[in-house]
Amino acid sequence: MAMNVDFQPLPRKPANFIPIWLCAVCAILYAMSWHLSLSFGDLVSGIGDTGDYISQFFHPDFSLGHKYVWLMIETVCTALWGTAIACIVALVLSPLAASTLTPHPLIYRATREVLNFMRAMPDMLLALMLVSAIGLGPLPGAFALGIHTAGFLGKFYSELLERVPRGRYEALAATGAGFVQTTMIAGYPSILREMAGYTFYIFDRNIRMASVLGLVGAGGIGLELESTLGFFLYNKASAIIIIIFATLFVVDALSSTIRRRLT
Amino acid sequence: MGSVTNTLTWYWPTRSGLPPLVPMLWLTAVVLLLAVTAPLVEIDFIHVVASLPKLGSFLSHFLVVPDWNYLPELGLRMLETIEMAVLGTAMAIVFSVPLALLAARNTSPHVVIGWLTTYVLTAIRALPELTWAVAFVAAVGLGPLAGIMALAFVTIGFMAKFFAEAIEVVDCGAVEGIRAQGAGRVQTIAFAMLPQAMPDFISALLYILDHNLRAASILGLVGAGGIGYDLVMNLRLYQYDRLMMIALAIYVVVTALDRLSTRFRHGVI
Repeated sequence: MAMNVDFQPLPRKPANFIPIWLCAVCAILYAMSWHLSLSFGDLVSGIGDTGDYISQFFHPDFSLGHKYVWLMIETVCTALWGTAIACIVALVLSPLAASTLTPHPLIYRATREVLNFMRAMPDMLLALMLVSAIGLGPLPGAFALGIHTAGFLGKFYSELLERVPRGRYEALAATGAGFVQTTMIAGYPSILREMAGYTFYIFDRNIRMASVLGLVGAGGIGLELESTLGFFLYNKASAIIIIIFATLFVVDALSSTIRRRLT
Repeated sequence: MGSVTNTLTWYWPTRSGLPPLVPMLWLTAVVLLLAVTAPLVEIDFIHVVASLPKLGSFLSHFLVVPDWNYLPELGLRMLETIEMAVLGTAMAIVFSVPLALLAARNTSPHVVIGWLTTYVLTAIRALPELTWAVAFVAAVGLGPLAGIMALAFVTIGFMAKFFAEAIEVVDCGAVEGIRAQGAGRVQTIAFAMLPQAMPDFISALLYILDHNLRAASILGLVGAGGIGYDLVMNLRLYQYDRLMMIALAIYVVVTALDRLSTRFRHGVI
């Protein structure tokens, strides 16, 4: 016996735009690679060439190892100072750029824009300009890292300051505390842990960048890497790369341990 | 009046009224470390003060009338830079999704494979794009191809990590539900895990695109295409009128993408 169930018609299937979007994206990508006159063949042969090139690096020559280690220490110090500069600048600017703390909306907008500008300027570009302004050496490198990452740290700190419960600021304001007192007593102590975490992350990143800043003459191990690669001394270059790798692994492990203990 | 001055005595906002011990020790250690390393970075008072007027005179060079004739070429170079960033990111997506599936704890076929993939990704992330760009330029020659390959290579390291983290935090309920329907491994991943991880994917993608645009703008320093090459050339030739335009163009494009991606991110998540 047939059951006499009154089936409701299903609601209409929602329109699926994903294929159209995918086609559009593919078309744009194709147009871009056509504009840069690239082809798939180039890519495949490029990967083969890269394999050949990398195979030249398999005999590291550590005869100048102590020199490279010393340069690596200089690199880490450059990153340290860059981070310190960034941290100080960010500590000054971030309360001005936090919407809950800022003394005036105009100051808030202006500081945000300044931080944005610092973030937008790549540190390589800053290093290039600072090297031609104040001469070769690690000092322009530290400045460049400092200016660029101050933008990041300032943004991170100010976002943290905005997330602090408003009550803490209001409690201090109610006792007659000014902007600086509110920031120092309710602002920074509330976000100390997260601040330390972000600062370590930036330090980590700065060491990576500092190891290539030498390419533009801003001190550290990058300069040595550039010159060995320029003279096709692949064995020495591979020793340098191994030292950079080792340092980065140590720093990575250290900073992730510290960050885990902090949070 | 005496009581008023008494209440105005400053205390640290701790229970004992003394400075908190542990943060103070950390601060002292950091300051000492900075003081010890200062000579290595050539940071001393005289050097820094002497460099300020140089910096001032360098910056004063930028107060010139821009070279408007350069504008079309600048536009073309900026377009090339953006295209490099987009193509590098797109190429990385293709490799990152499978690698992320191998690396994520809940989709990895075996624990050892998961570990291995994670280590390989860490090694890829270790060096910045510019170092790889030097290698790729030496291998495939000057031009945007080397830049795109360097960007894609480093991006795989970051993107696969972010994707794997997004896959690891998906809700188990949907996964179990779809498994209870008799779905196989591939079907579970495709219909329960990836859709849930999609907002995080897009967020990571936008972040990486932003990062790659910044990176692409300096890859030209080593001859890997984009605006960076013009930047170095004009700096060597002291053409500050063009240099200023390049710096401004980079700022404008990076900021525009930043704003755009913030808006898009709010729309998606």
